[in-house]
Amino acid sequence: MSGWSEKVLEIDLGTQTYKTYPLNMEMARLFIGGRGLGARLLWELVGPEVDPLSPENVLIFTNGPLTGTGYQTSNRFSVTTKSPLTGTVLDANSGGFWGMQFKKTGYDVMIVRGKSEKPVWIEIKNGAIAFHDASELWGMRVFALTEKLGQDNNRRNVLCIGPAGENLSRMAAIMNDRERALARGGPGAVMGSKNLKAIVVEGRERPVIEDTDRFKFMLYETRKLLAASPLTSQALPEFGTAVLMNIMNNVGALATRNHQQTQFEGAESISGEELAEKYLVKNSACWACPIGCTRISKTEKVEGEGPEFESAWAFGAQCGIDDLPAIIEANTLCNDLGLDTISVGSTIACAMELSEKGYLDSDLRFGRADMLAPAIEATAHRRDIGADLADGSLRLAAKYHHPELSMSAKGMEMPAYDPRGLQGQGLLYATSNRGGCHMRGNMIGLEVLGLPKLVDRFQVQGKSAFVILSQNSNAAIDSLVICKFTNMGVGDEYFARVLSAVTGVQYATTEMIKVGERVWNLERLYNNREGFTAKDDTLPPRLLNEAPVDGPSQGWVSNLAPMLKEYYRTRGWDENGVPTRKKLVELGLADLA
Amino acid sequence: MPTVKLFASLRKFAGTKELSIIGATVGGVLLELTRQNPLLGTAILDGGNLRPHVVITLNGRNVIDLNDSVNEQDVIAIFPPIAGGQGE
Repeated sequence: MSGWSEKVLEIDLGTQTYKTYPLNMEMARLFIGGRGLGARLLWELVGPEVDPLSPENVLIFTNGPLTGTGYQTSNRFSVTTKSPLTGTVLDANSGGFWGMQFKKTGYDVMIVRGKSEKPVWIEIKNGAIAFHDASELWGMRVFALTEKLGQDNNRRNVLCIGPAGENLSRMAAIMNDRERALARGGPGAVMGSKNLKAIVVEGRERPVIEDTDRFKFMLYETRKLLAASPLTSQALPEFGTAVLMNIMNNVGALATRNHQQTQFEGAESISGEELAEKYLVKNSACWACPIGCTRISKTEKVEGEGPEFESAWAFGAQCGIDDLPAIIEANTLCNDLGLDTISVGSTIACAMELSEKGYLDSDLRFGRADMLAPAIEATAHRRDIGADLADGSLRLAAKYHHPELSMSAKGMEMPAYDPRGLQGQGLLYATSNRGGCHMRGNMIGLEVLGLPKLVDRFQVQGKSAFVILSQNSNAAIDSLVICKFTNMGVGDEYFARVLSAVTGVQYATTEMIKVGERVWNLERLYNNREGFTAKDDTLPPRLLNEAPVDGPSQGWVSNLAPMLKEYYRTRGWDENGVPTRKKLVELGLADLA
Repeated sequence: MPTVKLFASLRKFAGTKELSIIGATVGGVLLELTRQNPLLGTAILDGGNLRPHVVITLNGRNVIDLNDSVNEQDVIAIFPPIAGGQGE
């Protein structure tokens, strides 16, 4: 079958052996690749008895049938594991070049099991798989290690962890191609727990495309669609994602000082406009991406990728800091240490509030830009206060007897959008299968930007249908796996045509959304099996009970309860948030019930 | 006069971040704004209609109806097509 390589590589770090076997192609047809295929495999491999940081947890790296074909943004790949931050199913995906190179090694899936006795790094090169001693690399930071192991964007690509992963920070990212991140939920800690420092890939195999003429025409059409969209041809290349800072602040939905306010007086100073005017060196792009949203920024101290909107917000508004150079440097430091910027920024903000209220003895205070870098270093190395910060805001706040001050859902720190001014976004956070996350679905387009049309952001009734569609759509795109920004110029239904041309399997236009729904329900089943219930579909008490006292969202709290009730019903779940047998049969998941 | 705030690429067309523009409705302010600055007009209007994905807020609330009235203290914010928020 074209598109897929039809091969799985399974590595056992304990014995430093590997085996290969055919991919279950019925499973591939149903779950495609990336996030969907990863979730299906995790269901079989990791049960509720497994501690996320034990050798029994696995890392499942997946690409998809479009990966490496040259289709626009077909550079992405996923890692799936049980999250050490949340205990839920976790997938994170990343762009850059590594995913394309991984596909060229001839595998759709790489499962990493067990734990190496000593630090090790793996090299997959032209069909050969080698285990190398990483004792001398242990402790190295990401940028230096990536260079040392021979990163060469189109030929040889490095994926690794930094000190944060080695020290089992539950906010540790896996980094690839120097500054791209599988960031959220702590996959870097899982890699660190296995004593696995890096995976380097070099490949020569090219994906087989079933209908090359049709595929070439779709490349041409997609190029035209992306060029015609003002979002993908102008907005993202010109200002990157950080351009959202001012509009979110304008509408009163920019979480500020650990969500104590919904507007930040320093927003303009940390905006995409300010970044472009004073600190932007140039744009950059992932492999096969014509959009090029990546910013290369420079201060007196650092030059590197980013910061993305959420990173600038996390170290900025959320910490009450309007010093953009300090934010850029904090972002670069996180990349070099291998940390998730959203969780780290929000955890520092949580510590700032705990400290200001006298619950935690530390010098952290809102607005203290000088504290960012030391706090991040301490977190990565579990030194001093970093020993507490490294486990994320919920464990930190619980330790100091105020878990309500963690701005997280299911233990994952939420991004910038304050749910009190965006009712649908709140429902998204509460129901996200990996915790507080804007990547499992996104309502900002509908509730603020009018993409594709504007929906009243304070409306509650009927919101669940929009949320569910967004969640299913994102799950499908994550399973292809391509960049969601492509979807801003190209409709969901078009991807089914591309997938059909590449694989030869005929996917109807409605089938993509069905795949997304299947993946979402499977992830829900996984979390239920782990012990999560409807009680976990919630938000911090502050967002449910404390209304902003000023600004455009004044007087509003997240009106979650009626939205949740409607959501379960619209999903075809029972009142306890459990998928019904009828729904599972409809989705081809009956054997998992 | 109502205050008009401009964002992203609109600033380079207008040469400023903020202006005071006379008008009794949001639409009236827009007409006067684009009359004074035709270059800005081409960025946000197409044949007299708002270009797709241009976002206008009045005191932080999305404007649905350009006939909404405005007063002296009101703030109108205009954003060109912008996107983001989906970075992993």
